[in-house]
Amino acid sequence: MSECTCHENPLVPQVCVITDIKKETPDVKTFRVSTRDGKKPFTPMPGQLGMFSILPVGEAMFSITAQGEDYLDFAIKKTGQLTDALHEAEIGQEVGLRGPYGNTFPVEDCKGHDLLFIGGGIGLAPVRSFIRYALEHRGDYGDIDIVYGARSPEDLCFKEDLMENWPKEKNTKVHVTVDQDLSGEWKGSVGFVPAYLESLNFSPEGRKVVLCGPPIMIKFCLQTLAKCGFKDSEVITTLEMRMKCGIGKCGRCNIGSKYVCLDGPVFTMEELSHLPNEY
Amino acid sequence: MQFKKSDLPKILDSMAKEATVLAPMKVKGNSKFAPWGTEGELDFGAQNVLLPPKDCLFPQTEKMYRFETDGLKVNDFEVINESRPTVLFGLKGCDMQSILCMDDVFLTKGYVDDFYKKKRDDLLTVCINCTTVAKECFCDSMGGSPNGHAAADIQLYDLGESYQVKAQTEKGQKAVDSWQQYCNKDEGEIKEIACELKVDMDGVPEKLAGMFEHPIWEEISRKCVGCGICTFLCPTCYCFDIDTTKDGAEGTKFRCWDSCMFSEYTRMAGGHNPRPSKKERVRNRFLHKLEYFKERYDKNLCVGCGRCVAKCPVNLDITSFIDQVKEVASHE
Repeated sequence: MSECTCHENPLVPQVCVITDIKKETPDVKTFRVSTRDGKKPFTPMPGQLGMFSILPVGEAMFSITAQGEDYLDFAIKKTGQLTDALHEAEIGQEVGLRGPYGNTFPVEDCKGHDLLFIGGGIGLAPVRSFIRYALEHRGDYGDIDIVYGARSPEDLCFKEDLMENWPKEKNTKVHVTVDQDLSGEWKGSVGFVPAYLESLNFSPEGRKVVLCGPPIMIKFCLQTLAKCGFKDSEVITTLEMRMKCGIGKCGRCNIGSKYVCLDGPVFTMEELSHLPNEY
Repeated sequence: MQFKKSDLPKILDSMAKEATVLAPMKVKGNSKFAPWGTEGELDFGAQNVLLPPKDCLFPQTEKMYRFETDGLKVNDFEVINESRPTVLFGLKGCDMQSILCMDDVFLTKGYVDDFYKKKRDDLLTVCINCTTVAKECFCDSMGGSPNGHAAADIQLYDLGESYQVKAQTEKGQKAVDSWQQYCNKDEGEIKEIACELKVDMDGVPEKLAGMFEHPIWEEISRKCVGCGICTFLCPTCYCFDIDTTKDGAEGTKFRCWDSCMFSEYTRMAGGHNPRPSKKERVRNRFLHKLEYFKERYDKNLCVGCGRCVAKCPVNLDITSFIDQVKEVASHE
C-alpha cells in the first residue's frame, strides 16, 4: 500500500478567507483566497483543482485560475447552490479549502513548443493557469496564441488579461471572438470559436493545443484541428465531472477505470480516445 | 487447537470486555452483524447474513467534522474520527474478500482515508468456513472460497461440535492466546465444500473492455427499477456522498453511502449528466464490478456473496449477465 503524507486527513479542509472578489462578467466572479494568517493555502501546478466550500452550504471542485505569493484565485460561474451562495459572499467570508487535486497540464512536455490555447466562456479559467505559467517561464516556450470566445462582449472573462496584459507579452497574440454583439460597440470578430479558429489556420508544426470550453465547442474545435492536421496526442483538454471526495475514493467521477479527480482532469485527446465515451 | 461450540459464548464474552464484538445475529427479523451482548440471537446458518459487514469500517452515515459559523467567520472547527477496538466474528470468505477490496480503495492509490484507516487498524477479523452453501453463493467463481480466507486474522473451521482455530496474523495469534483455557488438541476433519452456482469469469474483464457500446446494456437495463438495493446490500459497494447538516449556527459535515444507480449521483450543477439513464448506470455498475476495478486494483469487485442475486426485485442477476457476456463473445 502506497501511503501519502501530503495531508493529515485529506477529506478535511483548512479554513481560509476570501480576501478579494472581482466581477468578471454578469455571472462569473474571481475569488481570491488566503489562509487565516495570510499565506497561500497550497501550491498547485497549472491545471490542478481545489475543493472549495462555504461550510454550511456545500463543497465543490473548481479549477485554480491563478496563484500569487500568498493567494489562490478561483474564477467561478454562478450555476448552483454553492456558487449562488459564493456569489453573495463578501470579502472576509471564511471558506473551506482542500487540495491541490488531480494531475497537471504537461508543462514539461510542452517545453520548446509553440502553444495554442483555445477557451470558450468559463473554459478559460483552467487554461489561464497554464497561460500564466507559460508567460512566467517565457523562455521555455515558443509563440503563444490565445483564441477565446464568449457569448457576448460583456461575457468575456479576464478582460484585462485579454485586452491589455497578454497582447503586450513577447511573441504572444490574443484572438477574441463573440457569438453575437447586441451592443454595436464590439470592434472584434463576431462568430463561434470553431469557425474563427479555422479562419486563423494554425499550422500543427511544433505546436501543442490546450482546449477547454463547453462540450459543443470542443466537439467542433476538434474537427477544425483535425482538418488543420493536429494529431490527438498534441491536443490537451481538461474535464469536468461531479466530484465529492477529490481523492479517487467516492466513485462518481470515473470514466472507465480512471478517476477524473485523481488521474485527470487533464487528458490528451489521444488518452481520451482509449476511454469510454462517457463524460 | 480447537474449542467446543458450547464455549463460544464465553469466548465472545471475554472479547466483548475489550472490544465491540460484531457477530452474525438475527435482530428483530433482520439478519446482520450486530454487537454481541445486545438483543438478538447468534445466527451461524448456511445463509450469509443479509446485511454485509461494511458498515463497521465504512458507516452508512459517518460524521467527519463539525463547525460553528458566526457571520462570515468559522468557529470551533473540530474533526470527528471515532473508533474503538472491534472484532468482526464469523465472517464468511466472501465478506472477508470484500474487506480487501475496500482496503484497496480507501488505503491505496496516493491517498489514505483516515476515517477508514482508524477503524481498519482497530479491527480483528475472524472468519468461519461455510459448511453448506446457499443457492445464490458463487464465491469460488470469483476467486474466493467457502472454505476460508487466508487474509483473516483468525480462521475457524466448523468440525460439528467444535471449532478448529488457526491464527493467521500476529494480531490473530494474540487474541487466540487468550482463548487457551477453552482449547484442546485437534480432532476431527475439516470438510471442504464448493458452491453449486458457477460462473466462468475467464476472459470476461477483457471481453467487457470491448463491449461498452454493445446492445446488451439496453437489453439488460430495461427491467431495472433503479431501486439501489444491489448497491445497498453489496459488501464491496463503497461509493459515498459528502453533505452537511445544519442546526442554526452549528453544522456537521458527514459522508454517507451513495449509489451509482441514482441519477443524482453524477448530475452536475448546470444539469449535464454523463450517465443520464438506467442503461448508462447499469452498465457502469457491472463494468465497475467486473472490468474497471480489475484494471485498477487487479481484483474482481464482485465477491460472489449472492446478496444482490437473492434480493433484486426484478431478478437482474449478475451471474446470468456473466453467462450472457460469455455467449455474446463466443458468437463474435
